[in-house]
Amino acid sequence: MPDRSQLARIGGRAGRGVLGLVGIAVVVATLGAATLVTLPTIEREPQSKEISPSPSEQQRVCPGPLLTLAEDSTQAQAASSVGAASAVYGSVEATSLAQIRPQVTEITAVDDSNSRQPPLLLTVPVQEGATVPPLVAGSQSQVATTDTIGGLAVAACAEAVSDSWIVGGSTDIGRTSLLLLSNPTTVLATVNVTVSGESGPIDAPGASGILVQPGEQRVISLAGLAPNVKSPVLHVESRGGQVAASLEQSSIRGIEPGGVEIIGTTATPATNQIIAGVRVMAAVTDETVTTGEGFDAATPSIRVFVPGDAAATVQIGVTSADGTAAGTSTQVDVEPGIATEIPLSPLASGSFSVQLRSDEPIIASARTATDSAGGKDFGWFSASAPLAGDFAVAVAPGPSPTLHLVNGGAADASLILTPDSGTPVDLQIDAGASAVVPLSSGARYVVSGGEQLWALVDYFGDGVLSSFALNPPGPLASSIRVYTH
Amino acid sequence: MQPRVTAILVARNGAKHLERTLKALSLQTRKPDIVITVDCGSSDATAKMLAEFGPAQFIAADADLNFGQAINAAVQVTPLPTHDRELLWLLAQDSAPEPTALEVLVDALEIAPSVAVAGPKVMEWIAGEYIHNFGESMTPLGATVTLVESELDQGQHDGLSDVLAVSAGGMLVRHTVWEQLGGFDPALPTVDDSLDFCVRVRLAGYRVSVVPGARVASAGDGVAGPNQSSRGRLRRRRVRAERSAQLHRRLVYAPAGALVVHWLSLLPLAFMRSLGQLLRKEPGAIVGEFSAAFGAAFNGMRVGNARRSFAKTRTLGWDAISTLRVPSAEVRRRYSLKREASLFGLHGERPEIRFFSGGGAWTMFAAAVVGIIMMVPLLGADTLTGGGLLPLSPSLPELWASVGYGWRDLGLGFVGAADPFAAVVAVLGSIAFWSPSFALVLVYALAFPLAAVGAWMAATRLTDRGSLRALAAALWVLAPTFLIALADGRPAAILVHLLLPWLFFAWFAAARTWSASASAALLFAAVVACAPSLAPALFMVWLLSVALAGRRVMRFIGILLPALALALPLLADQGLRGSWLNLVADPGLPLPSGHAPTLQLLLGLPGTDGWAGVLDRFGVVGLDPQLFVPILLAPLAVIALLALLLPGARLASGAWVVALLGFGTALAANSLVLAAFGAAPVRVWSGSGLSLYWLGLVGALVIGLRSLHRFASAPGVVAALALAVVVLPLVAALHLGTAAVREGTGQTQPAFVAAEAQIDPRVGTLQLVPQADGGLLASIERGAGATLNQQSTLDSTDQTLSAREKALAELAGNLASRSGLDTSADLAEFGIRFIVLQPAGSSVEAADTALRTETALDGNAALAPVGDTEFGRLWQFGETDAAASTPVPAQAGGVFGLVTLLIALAVVGSTVLLSLPIGAGREAVRQANRDAIRRAARADAKQKSKRVRRTKGAVASSDGDEGLEPPVGTDLEADLEADLGIDRETGVGTALESDDGFSDDAAEPVEDTHAR
Repeated sequence: MPDRSQLARIGGRAGRGVLGLVGIAVVVATLGAATLVTLPTIEREPQSKEISPSPSEQQRVCPGPLLTLAEDSTQAQAASSVGAASAVYGSVEATSLAQIRPQVTEITAVDDSNSRQPPLLLTVPVQEGATVPPLVAGSQSQVATTDTIGGLAVAACAEAVSDSWIVGGSTDIGRTSLLLLSNPTTVLATVNVTVSGESGPIDAPGASGILVQPGEQRVISLAGLAPNVKSPVLHVESRGGQVAASLEQSSIRGIEPGGVEIIGTTATPATNQIIAGVRVMAAVTDETVTTGEGFDAATPSIRVFVPGDAAATVQIGVTSADGTAAGTSTQVDVEPGIATEIPLSPLASGSFSVQLRSDEPIIASARTATDSAGGKDFGWFSASAPLAGDFAVAVAPGPSPTLHLVNGGAADASLILTPDSGTPVDLQIDAGASAVVPLSSGARYVVSGGEQLWALVDYFGDGVLSSFALNPPGPLASSIRVYTH
Repeated sequence: MQPRVTAILVARNGAKHLERTLKALSLQTRKPDIVITVDCGSSDATAKMLAEFGPAQFIAADADLNFGQAINAAVQVTPLPTHDRELLWLLAQDSAPEPTALEVLVDALEIAPSVAVAGPKVMEWIAGEYIHNFGESMTPLGATVTLVESELDQGQHDGLSDVLAVSAGGMLVRHTVWEQLGGFDPALPTVDDSLDFCVRVRLAGYRVSVVPGARVASAGDGVAGPNQSSRGRLRRRRVRAERSAQLHRRLVYAPAGALVVHWLSLLPLAFMRSLGQLLRKEPGAIVGEFSAAFGAAFNGMRVGNARRSFAKTRTLGWDAISTLRVPSAEVRRRYSLKREASLFGLHGERPEIRFFSGGGAWTMFAAAVVGIIMMVPLLGADTLTGGGLLPLSPSLPELWASVGYGWRDLGLGFVGAADPFAAVVAVLGSIAFWSPSFALVLVYALAFPLAAVGAWMAATRLTDRGSLRALAAALWVLAPTFLIALADGRPAAILVHLLLPWLFFAWFAAARTWSASASAALLFAAVVACAPSLAPALFMVWLLSVALAGRRVMRFIGILLPALALALPLLADQGLRGSWLNLVADPGLPLPSGHAPTLQLLLGLPGTDGWAGVLDRFGVVGLDPQLFVPILLAPLAVIALLALLLPGARLASGAWVVALLGFGTALAANSLVLAAFGAAPVRVWSGSGLSLYWLGLVGALVIGLRSLHRFASAPGVVAALALAVVVLPLVAALHLGTAAVREGTGQTQPAFVAAEAQIDPRVGTLQLVPQADGGLLASIERGAGATLNQQSTLDSTDQTLSAREKALAELAGNLASRSGLDTSADLAEFGIRFIVLQPAGSSVEAADTALRTETALDGNAALAPVGDTEFGRLWQFGETDAAASTPVPAQAGGVFGLVTLLIALAVVGSTVLLSLPIGAGREAVRQANRDAIRRAARADAKQKSKRVRRTKGAVASSDGDEGLEPPVGTDLEADLEADLGIDRETGVGTALESDDGFSDDAAEPVEDTHAR
């Protein structure tokens, strides 16, 4: 007969075992439930204040007339101007759209040995009681027909900034690139230029510490910094004063001029870049591309550069601006620090917008060329920054000026183009779509109603091709969110 | 004429002891001539028993009559004495005289006519061979001294005769003298009534003597003389009565001239003695201390009456009794002898720790070696930086000024409450007083050995085995959350991990000693100050402890107090804001952290385990950390779960409750974003909750392994090794460069600014930090820069922008833009002399903002660029007089600040006093001695009862003395149980006391500890 206490002990043990199992079950169930259930979260937003800086005077610098290096071999680095550029500019008060007359002064072109027409500096002072800066626009154009330079070059009058990128130019045989640096501020600017080419960064001893005195323009031959580079990309950084940078490129094919262009700055590195308009003058096929020579200059192509350290996978979408021609879409891997030329093909002739999406910040510009009876010319089409809100366009004289618009916002845009004389034009652009608007030469427009637009103006004609992109006023004047703790 | 003895027996609810007393009385060889019994309003059978005894008179009196008054009531019914051989024998319900007691006492008075009072040798009730009380005296200063107490009677004191006083129970006094002196002083209800009476007898010219031959047993019921129970409330009442009696006597005996001095000293003395009571671990006595002082001070009539009646009968000067007093030195000598005996018990209380012989020192050494290997990149550093590490204020006054309610010199500065963490930082900084910032280096350098020692000590509460303790230390040191906190530079989380085992260690013993309870309270305050998110979980543990504490609840109630006192100003501030939730925001520099997946929290990882980076770095493919990390941690979890099935499951379930509470805290913290640092929302750090989770896990694991006995080593080693593999990347974080913490320069500002701060300590620097969303964080730092002690959750959780903050935002926004605003006036107004633009992070937007700001500042004509520094690009603005424009307001805290500071000081100060492990007080030593005697009696009685049971009462005792033997059996045992149940409460262990809950049965430790 089992002892009573023995039974009790066995019973106790069993009870304890069951309790223990229950405990384990409770623990496992609790922890398991915790992993399955999504807990509600309480998130307090950081406190901040959006500060719109008090408006200050607006300044724009027009690059000035085309320059050429002296034919005199004793002064190979001395530049002299060729002819004169004609500029169109204007300014309106942002809310009332009332015309304001900019003050026009001159920048001293110290490196121009033939200084007949210096670059212009447009200054628009702050209007009494204004809370937002005025809209300022200016552009210049020049047709060159000398023995060494031929073609159309248009350029926007640009704001001086402390950090800018120029994608374009070449110092290959027959090509000349001149870097124009204008300092409209009252402070000495110390400029460092970093040049990268198709084989990576280029060590250019003379590219750092370039002094640009207040109110002066310096001209630097890119060949002196980076000779024999087919695809340079320039990073212009200034300390102290800010500079407006642009790059004049001209080419000679054999003994006849191959075109000229003033290349403005391109949009700063970002993962999403849009070139609002690319004009393709002659259709390209895959065939023409593969025949190496054709790719050299005439083939529409995009130069992409990754300023960071990691390779980027770039998706390039080319869309016909007016829907008349089919676009292309390609994906390329771009090594960091190496300027990469990507041909655009096949493409019909016409107007396209190009969108580049990347997993790393990139910068980009497109180049096309024309070769016709009237002569040869090429044009650079830079990526630009989005325009938020109203903006002004000044159309320098030239053949067939056309405004390219891309609505990159999420909403459809109803735009009104108001010329300084004439009737306003209404324009509807769906979200993500693009539009092409012919402009009248020499006129000034205000485009209102947009939220997030990319814009570019191009000119084309018989043997001439050129463009300038429209950029918003520098980020320095935009509002900024400030946190205080 | 024959002597005539009137025995007066006073009883109040004393049926339990009365039987033996009445029987003893009836067995006297010299029967009292008259017996008068007085029943003081008893509710039990006392009255019936007294009446049935057949006294000459039975008086039913009120319950509130004290012993002296009851005797007087009886004396009044007797005729006035006609000669001095009429004697009064004063007895209480628990005064059981031996048969010859009265005979011997009467003889003593007969022999010596000058003796007016004769006292018996008062013996213990149960342990009859021990002397309870034999003669009383005073020190030269008037404190009561019992000449002999709690001693085994071997006749060593039988030579004693003339004494200053005898105790009331069993005293034989001449009726004439009693009448002459008016009996006991009514102002002395229980304590010192007989002492005072005997002193007056002496000064009236008579003698007082003890009679060793007369023995009376006393149970200390509290009818004659104070109740001797060690039960908390009764004990506190006795201590209060003793103090009241002493103060009353002091005022009565004092010469008239000194009366005022004595009266004025009452309250200051009470205050001083209260501090002493805290040190003596008798916080309960403080109330009595003050009520005694007030009672003595404001009962003028009683002192006056006593003084008058004393003066009336006094014929001799104080010199007459000076030889009967006990010198203070003698009192001290006796006390130290007793204390020595008790201290053996005190130290024997924790025989299980054995830090050196048990391997604790080796564990610490091993942890120190691992720590040094981990910290190699930081070796030789004077300061640390990175993560949440900031320097501390360079001087102790500044450090302590940042504690409490007042001016917070953070950013624009504001008046508000400091985080309790500031107090922790101040204490920490005071350790490295020569350079407070070095304290953080010390924390890092000693983190491993300190964590190991803490865990090792905590494990001593759970196991005797050195190997298991070492295992617990290893698991605790290698806790992923600890290593991540070290690598991330989270000083508060590191401190939490270092303090938690000690909190457990103290909490576990809190029921036993006041010292541990107070230590737990301080550690609780520190832990909650470092990680307020742990407060709810620890509060739950506290509730459980209180619910299970039973009589010892007072030891737990107080644990919350220091934490509450420290947090009081912050509670008020956040309460006014209506955002109670913000109270759990992490103190210190706000440090953003990502949302951790629940599965990762389950593994004890508040952040990434670092394996992905390591495998990537060394190009190892085919290993998936998501798979092998949980597998490696599985043994630990399995053993911890298994503990629920093994002996000790109750304790293990307590550990699991703690673990689940910790995990719940981590989960909740993970989904709480309360603070912000610029644009970055700051999540509550889940690692502190995981520290608690880990504590529960390791506890359960140790309990489980403990029950596996000799099979424990293999699973334990496997679990530890697997954990070591898992945390390898975390241990190597400093070597791999994945840690945020690095050697610092001791500065948070460019040297140029630091130099300027030497001249003008209020010099303002506008810090501009580009944010990832393209925004800009603008904050002002004064002097040498931000300090850890000045950080405030009031600021980091603020959901509003004040007018001045908006103005600063306006200024910063315009400074960072090409603006038409003239910023000079604003810069001067804010006291800004320098502007530092910190380097942007990796985000493109931040880089754009940095560029824009730099361009704008470069183009600002009012600013002179100084250059690039380690902390960013620096500009100087020449026209600011910072000290004049932004002074620190004096007395910013106002009355509220002062009051809360005093409250915090009082609460924390008394807790510190209470926590000091200084031995127990005199009273506790006395009590311990008494308890030891009773316990010895119990052991004796148990043996006897066994023997009795074995003989099944076959040997019927025909001995006439049988009734005088301590009754044996259930009554006695119940009595003893009641007494001994409280013994632990005295806080004094004795050699006989075993508080080791595990020595008897590992499965059933101290009952209410499983919740911890």
